[in-house]
Amino acid sequence: MLIEIKALRQELPGLCDIEPLALCELLASLGFPVDAVDTSNGATVFEVDVTANRGDVLSHRGLARDLAAKLDMELSTLPVTTLREGAALLPVRLESEACPLYATAILELGKAQGTPSEVQVFLGHMGASAKNLPPVDASNEILHRLGQPTHAFDADTLQGALIVRWAREGEKIVTLDGVERTLTHQDLVIADEAGAIALAGVMGGDSTKVTAATQRVLLESAFFDPRTVRATAHRHNLHTDASYRFGRGADPAMAQMARDLLVQRLEAWAGAKLVGAWTAGAVPPTAPPIPYNQTLLERVAGEPIPRLEALALLKRLGCQMAPEPGCLQVVAPSWRHDLSIADDLAEEILRLRGYAKIPSALPPLEGAPEPLSKDYLKRRQLASKLAHLGFCQTVTYGFVDPLESQEGNPQVDEQAWRTLKNPLGEEYSLMRGTLLRDLRDTAALNLDRGAREVRLFEIAPVFVAQPQDATTPIRECWTLALAWAGETGGEDPLTPVRKVSALAGKSHLIGVLKALDVPDAAIRAFERWPLAGVVGGAKNQLGWQFEVSLEAIPDAADRVIPAFKAFSRFPSVERDLSLLVKLDQGYRPLADAMTAKVRTSAREAFQELRCVDVFRHKSLPEGRQAWLLRLRFQHPARTLTSEEVDGWMASALDVARSLGAELRG
Amino acid sequence: MEPSLLPIDILDAQQGFPEALAACKDLDGLMRLKGVYIGREGSHSARLMELLKAASKERKRELGGAINVLKNAWEEALKARQSELEAARRQLATFGNTWDPDLPPPIPARGAMHPLNQLIDRLVDVFRPLGYHVEEGPEIETEAHNFDGLNIPADHPARGSADTFYFEKYPELLLRTHTSPVQVRTLLRLAPHIQEKGGIRFLAPGRVYRKDEIDPTHSPMFHQVEGMLVGHDIGMHHLKGTLAYAMKALFGPAAEVRFRPSYFPFVEPGCEVDVRCPLCGGSGCRVCKQSGWVELLGAGLVHPNVLAYAGIDSNIWSGFAFGMGVERIAMMVSQTPDLRLFFENDQRFLKTMGGLD
Ligand SMILES: [Zn+2]
Repeated sequence: MLIEIKALRQELPGLCDIEPLALCELLASLGFPVDAVDTSNGATVFEVDVTANRGDVLSHRGLARDLAAKLDMELSTLPVTTLREGAALLPVRLESEACPLYATAILELGKAQGTPSEVQVFLGHMGASAKNLPPVDASNEILHRLGQPTHAFDADTLQGALIVRWAREGEKIVTLDGVERTLTHQDLVIADEAGAIALAGVMGGDSTKVTAATQRVLLESAFFDPRTVRATAHRHNLHTDASYRFGRGADPAMAQMARDLLVQRLEAWAGAKLVGAWTAGAVPPTAPPIPYNQTLLERVAGEPIPRLEALALLKRLGCQMAPEPGCLQVVAPSWRHDLSIADDLAEEILRLRGYAKIPSALPPLEGAPEPLSKDYLKRRQLASKLAHLGFCQTVTYGFVDPLESQEGNPQVDEQAWRTLKNPLGEEYSLMRGTLLRDLRDTAALNLDRGAREVRLFEIAPVFVAQPQDATTPIRECWTLALAWAGETGGEDPLTPVRKVSALAGKSHLIGVLKALDVPDAAIRAFERWPLAGVVGGAKNQLGWQFEVSLEAIPDAADRVIPAFKAFSRFPSVERDLSLLVKLDQGYRPLADAMTAKVRTSAREAFQELRCVDVFRHKSLPEGRQAWLLRLRFQHPARTLTSEEVDGWMASALDVARSLGAELRG
Repeated sequence: MEPSLLPIDILDAQQGFPEALAACKDLDGLMRLKGVYIGREGSHSARLMELLKAASKERKRELGGAINVLKNAWEEALKARQSELEAARRQLATFGNTWDPDLPPPIPARGAMHPLNQLIDRLVDVFRPLGYHVEEGPEIETEAHNFDGLNIPADHPARGSADTFYFEKYPELLLRTHTSPVQVRTLLRLAPHIQEKGGIRFLAPGRVYRKDEIDPTHSPMFHQVEGMLVGHDIGMHHLKGTLAYAMKALFGPAAEVRFRPSYFPFVEPGCEVDVRCPLCGGSGCRVCKQSGWVELLGAGLVHPNVLAYAGIDSNIWSGFAFGMGVERIAMMVSQTPDLRLFFENDQRFLKTMGGLD
């Protein structure tokens, strides 16, 4: 909202002593921060930010009133002579509760002198150009000065009675902006007997507008229900100065006064003669009184506030006190639609005292704090671990492009359930079912920008449609995704260069997953899933990626220190077995068979079997590779003899042989 | 000793010995020289022993003395030189086994937590000593949780499809526009136990969505951290004390907070909270637009209607809530010029901004 300092000072002369900068601070302390100050047009104009609940300050008079309450100053008297109303010159029928009050007047315009230049300048500062049509300019000026929107019709274009009613479904009106609008039965209109002539509280109609040729005007100064005005403005996407003010709640008690001021201006500016003034309906009853609550006030304020001081502040805001037996009742002024409960009054008292005066204290702990949730801790620890393993955490949007989503999901129909109705664009319309696509794109972006090595991870929910579940039709499943691409090493004399895309790169990523305690079953899904796992496509592979549901990763342990596990103090024996195996020999079946066999004989002395080297070379027999298997034995209660270890190794070799392996000479 | 006692070639050898010895630069050479002078066979000393054997009895004594002197001198000089060379070799060997520490070392790969997650975790740590735990809710919410339970009127513009994302197949579902629905969920869940728990206090971090076009200061997805406390006799002073503590913990002991009246439907009274500009300390800079203060968050006392929605008696219980934009604070503190950098995930940005835990 724009506020001209000169006009503000006219409403509150006490402000003349306050510098614009101090005024900005003052306004901010009242809850109306000044977003910008414009001094470019020979005047100081503030752009003031007003919260949605304060329709009463959307004018110079309104803002001055709040400042007057704060500073305990007097507003200037409005130069208004109350008109003597007479009989209705034409019937005004209020057919809807959304318009309880309609003040009007008919004037004959005289020889036009035009809008005074200072008013033209003022309107210019308000961002509105003067039309030099006194009825229009005067209405506009009163809106900015007093906050009451008014309207002038060309009285000679009206046909019969004036009716404020709900529009008929499909009824048409051409508004002042020249647009034909089709109305619904929820739009409130001003109509004459030929049809709608204005969208109530939003915009006048084109057919009845005031022009340079207009000789008689009918003025409108009414009160319209805020919700109705907001809905109509929203429905027709027609946001005007009038709808802004009516939509946030105008002051019904201001309607007649604004009409009187408008009449006075037309008499002065256009030599107009009043034909008659009258009002249909009445000022709506004030909201129910609010019980005054001293205990609540002091609880909210955090300190004792003398009752007299509090009541004096409310009075300065225009509240009236209605002492009822046992409880003081506060009646809010007609312009304050936002005050309805005792908490609202407490806020007003604190606001006028200044929030800076609120003391500062920590609330006492009333119960035992709860532990941090396992899910949160798990994610936090995972992120920290991965960062220490050299991975960077990414954050990407939850919605993706459905066309590019290669989620490997055969049920494309399922996507429909995860689709947004009003996305920012088609490319952001699907709630993603995997993180891999975004991770792949991010990896590619980094490689394109010259990164040698990319190590990324994201922890975020993916969305799974389950339309059969009425309570949670879209499940959110927290997921970890990892990508490793490019080439690593080669930047110091001790670390050789290694391409992550080489076959072994997948093994490195699996190593990371094992370090995160991702169970083997979940990792095997990765092994069966080579295409989705490749960054950069199968042919031009640049690296590997993987995703796993966080549910599959165990929670952080509850224990402060893990339970003691006995370890053997007797020597451990390691023996290597160098085997020639077929090139297509799978490691797992061989290792599993050997382990099973050795475990039956060595029992608790068997510790582990692992492959520590793979050798493939043309010097080896055709179709064969060499594996170096290391077996480790350690007995919990005694030292092992070399004879028994020899026996176990022999049995391990037997199993290997039965599977086609032979001892490498 | 009479030189004439010894043959001329031995005398030559004796004369050339010091030079030959000095010329031995390694143990191999020394061993060869040793062989020439004092070796068991064919050496100068072997020849001297033969001479001695063949000498007449009367000369034997004199000659033996001279030979011994000569042999001893050679042996001692060779021995001394040998230990010299051995020491040099040991030193060389030691040197060869030492890695020059100035060569570039292999450095473990450095990753980073995302700066937004770092900031969220930091906030959790800041509020943890005050007894706050973490509550979370889904990103896909109902209108009831996102709006109704928060005293947001049915015709509020934020509910419109111009501001909020809705779903094609489920008209009642939306992408939450703030983390405040976690207030509603948590109040509803804990309301039956509020007495035994002695109130409620928690932090709710998470991702939220609003229909904003992507530009340097807007993003359709961003992060918020919501905080809520419900207890007995809670007032604005408790909100102020809590936020003052938190801002000092976050920005340092000089941090100060300032409250300004504001309006949010789910609090009453409501306020905006500014913090003394952490970059200039309040003297004025570009970040605070010379005002010395930066806007940090919105807050207020929980509106009685919000408590009532969850079935909590606002005559007994009262509380406060606050909500902050994580990106906003991250941009302010780091002076990151463009919001989009947080979602682009360039490793160079992540590594400088995120760092390790
Ligand atoms: Zn600053």
